[in-house]
Amino acid sequence: MTSAFLRIFDRYREQILRRTGPRGRVLLIAGVVLCLISSVLPWGVSGVGYTNPLGGNLQSVGIGGPRLYVLLLTLVACVGLTSVDGRRRSSLAASLGNLIISVYILRGLVHEGGGTGAVGVGAWVALVGSLVLFLGADTLPVTPRNVLPRLSAVADIALIFVVIGVGLAALVVGLDIEDDKQFVAFAIFVVALVVAANGLGVAAAFTSAFDRYRYIGYAVAAAAAFAFPFTQHGNAQWMAVFARVGVFAAAAIGLNVVVGLAGLLDLGYIAFFGIGGYVSALLSNAVFTTVHVHLPFLLVIPLGAAVAAFFGVLVGAPTLRLRGDYLAIVTLGFGEIFRIVAINWTGLTKGPNGIAGIPDLKLPGGFDFGKPHTVFGQLLPFQSNYYFLDIFLIAGVMVFFARVNDSRIGRAWVAIREDELAARAMGINTVALKLLAFGIGATLAGTAGTINVHIGEAIEPNAYQFIFSALLLSAVVLGGMGTVAGPILGAALLYAIPEKLRFVQDYRLFLFGLALILLMRFRPEGLIVSRRRQREFHEGGSGADAMSQPGQVAPV
Amino acid sequence: MTQFLQQLTNGVVLGATYGLIALGYTMVYGIIQLINFAHGDIFMLGAFGGLALYDVLPHGMQDQIVIALPLCTLAGIALSVAVAVVMERVAYRPLRNAPRLAPLITAIGVSAMIEEGTRLWYPGAKAPLDFPQLLPSGAVTVGGVRISYASIVVVVVAVVLMIALQAFVLRSRTGRAMRATAQDPDTAKLMGINTDRVIVITFVLGAALAAVAGVLQGARLGTVRFDDGFIAGLKAFTAAVLGGIGNITGCVAGGFILGIVEVMAVQYLPSGSGYKDLWAFVVLILVLVFKPNGLFGEEVTVRA
Repeated sequence: MTSAFLRIFDRYREQILRRTGPRGRVLLIAGVVLCLISSVLPWGVSGVGYTNPLGGNLQSVGIGGPRLYVLLLTLVACVGLTSVDGRRRSSLAASLGNLIISVYILRGLVHEGGGTGAVGVGAWVALVGSLVLFLGADTLPVTPRNVLPRLSAVADIALIFVVIGVGLAALVVGLDIEDDKQFVAFAIFVVALVVAANGLGVAAAFTSAFDRYRYIGYAVAAAAAFAFPFTQHGNAQWMAVFARVGVFAAAAIGLNVVVGLAGLLDLGYIAFFGIGGYVSALLSNAVFTTVHVHLPFLLVIPLGAAVAAFFGVLVGAPTLRLRGDYLAIVTLGFGEIFRIVAINWTGLTKGPNGIAGIPDLKLPGGFDFGKPHTVFGQLLPFQSNYYFLDIFLIAGVMVFFARVNDSRIGRAWVAIREDELAARAMGINTVALKLLAFGIGATLAGTAGTINVHIGEAIEPNAYQFIFSALLLSAVVLGGMGTVAGPILGAALLYAIPEKLRFVQDYRLFLFGLALILLMRFRPEGLIVSRRRQREFHEGGSGADAMSQPGQVAPV
Repeated sequence: MTQFLQQLTNGVVLGATYGLIALGYTMVYGIIQLINFAHGDIFMLGAFGGLALYDVLPHGMQDQIVIALPLCTLAGIALSVAVAVVMERVAYRPLRNAPRLAPLITAIGVSAMIEEGTRLWYPGAKAPLDFPQLLPSGAVTVGGVRISYASIVVVVVAVVLMIALQAFVLRSRTGRAMRATAQDPDTAKLMGINTDRVIVITFVLGAALAAVAGVLQGARLGTVRFDDGFIAGLKAFTAAVLGGIGNITGCVAGGFILGIVEVMAVQYLPSGSGYKDLWAFVVLILVLVFKPNGLFGEEVTVRA
């Protein structure tokens, strides 16, 4: 019975593998040709057009904006004509990217031009071309992901430079695009390109290179992070956003210790962030403070962290003895208690109005965070100061996370997460270690919170609603639970994209809800994958698969 | 004394609502050990479903409470049940064997989607909406305590439904299947029970009860909001834990106790009303610390 089934399965597989015939090749070539032609034809007719920083506009013959994306993705899709492993995945991703871009731009043209009259011949050719290309790519055989040969140390290091450099460039170009539609097209292009590159083994090569030259990798990443403010030409808008993103990223890494390593679902995490914030707001002589004490900031940080840690232990100690899901609901309750108390204890917190006029930070050497500073001949807006502070904070938190993850404690946490009973049987003091994780998470959140209020210069209770805990959780889940870089990526995406696309803002929470559901269903390991998580979520059938896909492994 | 009795009455009415919602938590938790965060939002959807039907009823029927109330309640039940079934099928069922964290995170996502979906796409729901007067107005006074007819309807409906649910779970064949699935899903499956079906029925029952609570609460307070479900859901969950999660009788008792505690705290503690929503969590934490199995709970066996 079973063997008969297997035979049928094998034959089916063979059919799939033999599927690309001349028909698929013809479709692919036709699609490529059509898409290439479309990328130089005018997409618009008149009146409606998307100008873009890459040059050209849609009404004339030439390459620019979405047409450039189509051109590049088409070139990537040509990989379907070769015999490289992973060509199906790459070619499909590229052609699907083309298809979505052309449909999206078409829709935009029709919408803004008031009918199909505004659509130029190029857009139609692109639509047909990318559809043909997609059908052609679909005939390609299913193959494992490509594994790039390992070349040399120089090549590895060059790869690290190139990938991080391209990432920074994509960020800068993306932020420069003013028009919403242009930006969406760009984002689709980037996603399609990343998926295609992943299929060709670039991600795997990058992670193994990063693993091998870890310190060079981190140095390059740090250099890219430091270089970012210099790409903004003194413009404060994005520095303000990324100063916030940095703080949230640091808090998200703390949450990752709790959720990703120890497997404890903390739904009141934002409260610890808020406690740090209130401590900082009250002790730094804000205009509307109720406590007239001004301590130096270097003292306020540990104080805020300590108070947050105290409350973390207070909440955690009684509840961590219980089953995991009770912790989720108790922390949720604690988050609400914090907010309700902050609203009602007007004598200390000024209630719903909050405490405004929190001064900028000043370091003992006289460095004032509230003033722009000239660095390397470029005048950087004062928000950059906080951004740089964030980098140091994140770097510290990352080192801490990586060290603790590789320690006895980190392994014990993972053991608890996987099977608490077994962990206890192995002699792990589960309650103490869970409390430690919970306390560390609270401490990190408190630390980030102390800085956060100085950036915003005000604190009010409603900035600490449950939904913000959920957002931080989504950042961790999206980026990849249990990884170092995941929460940073997640926080950057979740906080920066709504800032970029104003029209998304109203739908933000809805989309986060949707994203959480889809992620848990289809990619619970997140964008960046930890080796351990991959196996946990895909136990059984695809467990071996995880081993054979080095592209999925993060440098943790 | 009169004031105390008055508050006691108010607490009972509030507790009846908590109890009705809590049943959904306790049943779902009892069967698949999932804290269904979205259950509070299912309660909120019930009120919106009732409101939506009311708005399309002809004027003659809108005024007839005897017709309008049952119709609106049915509409609320229909909406809540439909969403709950889709939610179970699409979001939770695929994760039945996933690590424990996964369905919890999904539940948060579902909750955000329902709340935000209502806010974005129900006409005018970005602000609180007026809920029609579906309950009889007027009141009786017993020994100085004023009891509105609306309160009486709420409590009577809630108690009848609770008794009916208890009878269903204890007497019917499906109820027995539910209890078997709760005890041991694998063995239940071996005994020929379609556990998937049982789980769906559990969600349906919970959603229907929550929807009734939603319509009654909307009619009693005269207003509904897209995020009503969040706090109500948390309190109902507290009620379920208080009574011993998985235990239907305990859950109802937990609801009443919690309602009374909340009303009394607001009345007799300093600056009580500002802290109204706080007491449920304090109760929750105290119960979990001192009596984790709840007041009426049996010893819960820990599943690895």
